[in-house]
Amino acid sequence: MPEALLETRDLSRRFGALAAVDGVSLSFAEGRVHAVIGPNGAGKSTFLNLLSGELRATSGRVFFRGQELTRATPDRISRLGIARSYQSANVFAELSCGECVWLASHSRARTLVFPSARVAERARRALATCGLAERAGVRARQLSYGEQRQLEIGMILATDPQIFLLDEPLAGLGHDEAQRIVALLQELARRHTIVLVEHDMDAVFSIADTITVLVDGRVLESGAPDFIRQSERVREAYLGSDAP
Amino acid sequence: MISSRARLFLALGALALAAVPASGDRFWMQFLGKAMIGGIFAMSLDLLVGFAGLVSLAHAAFFGLGAYLLAGLSNRYQLAQMALTLPICMAGAAAGALIIGWLSLRAAGVYFIMVTLAFTQMLYYFLNDAPWFGGSDGLYVALRPLSNPIAAYYAIWIALVAVFAFLLLLLRSPFGRVLIGIRGNEQRMRSLGFPTRQYLLAAFVLAGSLAGLAGYLDANLYGFVNPALFGWRESGLVLMTVLLGGKGTLHGPALGALLLALLQQQGERLTEHWTAIIGAVVIAVVLFLPRGVAGLLEARRA
Repeated sequence: MPEALLETRDLSRRFGALAAVDGVSLSFAEGRVHAVIGPNGAGKSTFLNLLSGELRATSGRVFFRGQELTRATPDRISRLGIARSYQSANVFAELSCGECVWLASHSRARTLVFPSARVAERARRALATCGLAERAGVRARQLSYGEQRQLEIGMILATDPQIFLLDEPLAGLGHDEAQRIVALLQELARRHTIVLVEHDMDAVFSIADTITVLVDGRVLESGAPDFIRQSERVREAYLGSDAP
Repeated sequence: MISSRARLFLALGALALAAVPASGDRFWMQFLGKAMIGGIFAMSLDLLVGFAGLVSLAHAAFFGLGAYLLAGLSNRYQLAQMALTLPICMAGAAAGALIIGWLSLRAAGVYFIMVTLAFTQMLYYFLNDAPWFGGSDGLYVALRPLSNPIAAYYAIWIALVAVFAFLLLLLRSPFGRVLIGIRGNEQRMRSLGFPTRQYLLAAFVLAGSLAGLAGYLDANLYGFVNPALFGWRESGLVLMTVLLGGKGTLHGPALGALLLALLQQQGERLTEHWTAIIGAVVIAVVLFLPRGVAGLLEARRA
């Protein structure tokens, strides 16, 4: 087993009587794509929010390279190298694509006053990788929805992260747009660790090295794609309808 | 950011203002000096309202701090040299902004506005009731740094141009672009790794020190300070100036200050209910010129 980059121990988050995430212990190995799937309301987004610091855990702990960051703020978690994307494209609507990735890249710079050439270069490369090099001058809100999702990934790429937390990067996309993102994810997967929350099972099974199934905030099953595909319990949880 | 038409207009306006003392007219020098101070004050608030997306009602407090500090230094320590008093007064206003900003920025949105208002009112009542600072009568500035009216006028003019240029450069720097990002989507900026509250606090302190500069110039121009400088009315008025001129444009709020001063002066001659005229103009601008007076300069492009 490769070394665990990110790890949760008995992580829980309650909203009143509801345990949205209930005692989840998972370990995300370096260099792997680890998908977290489950029916609506299984607690996948809440789980990501706990990892990115946007929600505080009710109990349990989170470790990154052995360092505890259970109570760390989102900006500190990001600076440690944990980047996240959002379910609906969360870009700067009024800024151009170039400015969006520049801001993301600048978050790693020390300079306040003078623009840095390294920051600009990292931004340019991220924009090229996410396939929007030609659209640098276009305002984010003028992009198609699919392009906004590409920009979203370009932005977190520009922060030079060690691990990507991706929240349904394919949600709401048509077939061609989804294909473009899948290709982008496969490209990223070669060099990065990815935690992928996604509903599109074809995509999940084609990209992921490990799959965890969450149901009612708990880990139902965790393992390689073939193991998950054959699991009776997973089949039951999905009521046979869109069973993988 | 600023169209070439607006740039030409601003440059001509600044030159015209520089020529005013040549006329030797004391009234216009005092009047335009006051209007330019209002312009500096409004531009400093625009950094918060228009660029960082922070609506603060504490801004008059930093104007008042700059003014009161000058009165205090002058009366108690017989200090008047500008090279000494100006940095102290601006630093004092910045320190006030650091404390008030640090506490207020723990709240967000409308709560932030209410907390800043509460601090302003606290300072107002403190100065109004405490015997050491002249109470509700205020204080005279015994020794003015620049008592010559022409020197005072040019100091204001230089400060106006310098603050405009400084803020323009600041907003184009990485720091300014981060502020604009925070205005657009603070939550996203935080998740990209920016300690957004620290950036906002830095902007708050910077804006506070520039408001202190405006207050300093005001106390020098009039030779008099009173607690009304701290009132929520002043904070509201400068906010109105920013909106009237066009928030997020920098030159707009400066123009707004001039317009407001003219309205007040002409209005007072017409009727004792001159505030009603200002109210009507503000409503008209908000309804028909959503980008403020600055929008007029850009209108032909659109």
